[in-house]
Amino acid sequence: MPASSAMRLSEGAATRLRFPLRLKLGSLLSSSETGLKASHFRRPWLAAGLLAPQLLILLFFFFIPTWKALSLAFVQVDPFGATMIFVGLDNFTTLFSSPEYRDSAVLTLWFTTVQCFVTLFVACLFAFATDQVMRGRAIYKGVILLPYAIAPAISGVLWAFLFNPTVGPLAQILDELGYAWDPNRRPSDALLLVSVAAIWKHVCYDYIFLVAAFLAVPASVIEAGAIDGAGPVRRFLTITLPMAAPTIFFLIVMNFVYGLFETFGIIDVITHGGPAGSTNTLVYKVYQDGFRQLDLGSSAAQSVVLMAIAVLFTVLQFRAVERKVNYQV
Amino acid sequence: MASTYMKSVASLLAAGALLMGAAGASAAERVKIEWWYAISGKLGETVQQLISDFNKSQDKYEVVGTFKGNYEETMAAMVAAYRVNQQPAILQSAERGFMTMLKSGAIIPADELMAKQGYKIDWSDFVKPVAGFYIVNGKPAALPFNSSTPILWYNADAFKAAGFDAPADTWQGLEKQLYALKEKKVTDCPMALPGDFQWSLIENYSAINDQPFGTKANGYGGLDTEFVYNRTSVVGQVARLKKWIDDGVLKIAGQGVAPISLYTSGTCASIINSTASHSAVEADAKFKWSAAVMPHEEGVQPKNSTIGGAALWAIKGKPEEVQAGVAAFFNYVAQPDVQEWWSKATGYVPVTNAAYAKMKLEGYFKDHPTREVAIEQLSRGEPTDNSRGFRFGNHNQSTAILLEEMQAVWTGKKAPQEALDSSVKRGNEILRQYEKLHAGK
Repeated sequence: MPASSAMRLSEGAATRLRFPLRLKLGSLLSSSETGLKASHFRRPWLAAGLLAPQLLILLFFFFIPTWKALSLAFVQVDPFGATMIFVGLDNFTTLFSSPEYRDSAVLTLWFTTVQCFVTLFVACLFAFATDQVMRGRAIYKGVILLPYAIAPAISGVLWAFLFNPTVGPLAQILDELGYAWDPNRRPSDALLLVSVAAIWKHVCYDYIFLVAAFLAVPASVIEAGAIDGAGPVRRFLTITLPMAAPTIFFLIVMNFVYGLFETFGIIDVITHGGPAGSTNTLVYKVYQDGFRQLDLGSSAAQSVVLMAIAVLFTVLQFRAVERKVNYQV
Repeated sequence: MASTYMKSVASLLAAGALLMGAAGASAAERVKIEWWYAISGKLGETVQQLISDFNKSQDKYEVVGTFKGNYEETMAAMVAAYRVNQQPAILQSAERGFMTMLKSGAIIPADELMAKQGYKIDWSDFVKPVAGFYIVNGKPAALPFNSSTPILWYNADAFKAAGFDAPADTWQGLEKQLYALKEKKVTDCPMALPGDFQWSLIENYSAINDQPFGTKANGYGGLDTEFVYNRTSVVGQVARLKKWIDDGVLKIAGQGVAPISLYTSGTCASIINSTASHSAVEADAKFKWSAAVMPHEEGVQPKNSTIGGAALWAIKGKPEEVQAGVAAFFNYVAQPDVQEWWSKATGYVPVTNAAYAKMKLEGYFKDHPTREVAIEQLSRGEPTDNSRGFRFGNHNQSTAILLEEMQAVWTGKKAPQEALDSSVKRGNEILRQYEKLHAGK
């Protein structure tokens, strides 16, 4: 998914690199035959060979797991695989009629959306401020980028400990401020804690992209704005932001993907999906039901649903990229 | 010049071949026996000690122990491995997984294995509560290994400061004491909620107070058992725990903090936790700690509590020489000396009468009175259908549901009765699914 925009970003570099490459491959690539595109492979085995690594990765990490999930989604199975009963769509009907699953779906939507936009907003603020920071800009950037280098499990343990109501120092400060903080008993506290941890972890990712996008805005346009009397905030809102729209759109999709699929580690360490399922997102539920409770049929059905969502996101992104939310200068 | 170079290369090659040959030989000498276990911390260190002692005691087999996470995680890892034929030879599985393992078709019953490999184990020597749980139709399916039961740990200094010599026998009495501890500002945390509270405060609570947890003698009588704990005094018990939590008398440790560490650090004045906490408490607690039997309801004649902990299962699908090694290891573990050492090092109860008698004879319990609390509690009263133990298929799954529903009570999302009803209903669906998949086995 990110490949398309990454490619766009590095197009200049690619043009420079392509030339010597073509010299070497000259004998294999033909551009002289009529009716064909500029370059094509005369010998299919070379094409197959070059495609093979990617195809193998797809085979092992996509097609085989997909097949496994599909084959398990329509059966009830004893965990050891001794007995298997075909149940048709039972796993899906049970799933959709289960209040726990619906709760989890609503929670996931809410969590992902909030996480997505808050992350983007905070990253925007930091990126905007980067230009205004005069002294110690390297330190400023370094501090913002640090969380990205910390493994989710480790940051999760820290968050869980700092805000543990019995022993955590930050929880005690909250307590002294008169806020009866307790993520073990208050679902809202647990959700807040997980959300903040997830956002904190992901702000740096958005930040890198936004700083790059803001830098790419031509100075001449901004200077023109300044000459016309626009202040830094106005220039940011009316010039920089619209010109960075493709990046922002890309980040929205990436944030959604992150919130949906990659917050697993943080949730696993901070709340285990609790209390009472209040932080049990769809992905975490697949794991809980499949790998902890060994209900493989239901877990497989859930992962099929998730796969459908992932496909939907991919289609959405490709369509949007084609439309080019773009103001090229 | 060239020849010396060639010589040195040749000698290097020869040395390499020798080294590899030596490594190959020692690997071939000893048959590797993979064992996945599920206990960590001090207990995990003791397991590694047991393994290295066994490996030193003979030269045919080498047991390789791997910690695979808690009981549920270990079970899940085993299931995943079994499906692709990568299972270990020995699995440590908790009492909760007993039915699941028994009917999994993935195990070799312990007595069958031992008989086939020519070992004689006196199965009648296992202490009654252990034998009553692990022996099915006169035959042990697994080797009882680490057997425990929950007991009431308390900080004697804190209780003294509040004017109590020891915790009360009943829940009602204990409630008054815990509230007094808080009111007299002796501690801010009179009691910590254990992570596996469903085991101690609900299942064992049912057994001790002679309340049915499920029909058909808690599953001993057949796969068509149903949960009924939403119609017993468990409802009142859950309401009491909820009240304690709301009043700050009972504290939830939460993720990242082991509940027992709240007790050993002196933060909380008591906890109902496994007798196996002895190893942690003895090492870490810097106050006058002690333990007592779990309380019971007022006016009830208390029964025995049930056996917890885990057993060792021999897993199918391993070559003959590995099975022989498993049997040798089982035989080693069942020795009275090893039993005694294991019990002393960990706090688990001795599982054979021989080991128990030996420890008693040498006066061990006089010097370590808390070590006998669990045994006393396990053999209290005459066992009934309600107190013998629990045999439910996929009990891991129904336990996870019970825990989730209990969290809904702690958060105030559901009333105790409502949550227990829902837990029983969802649990029964799992029992029916299990019955369907294992009909006629």
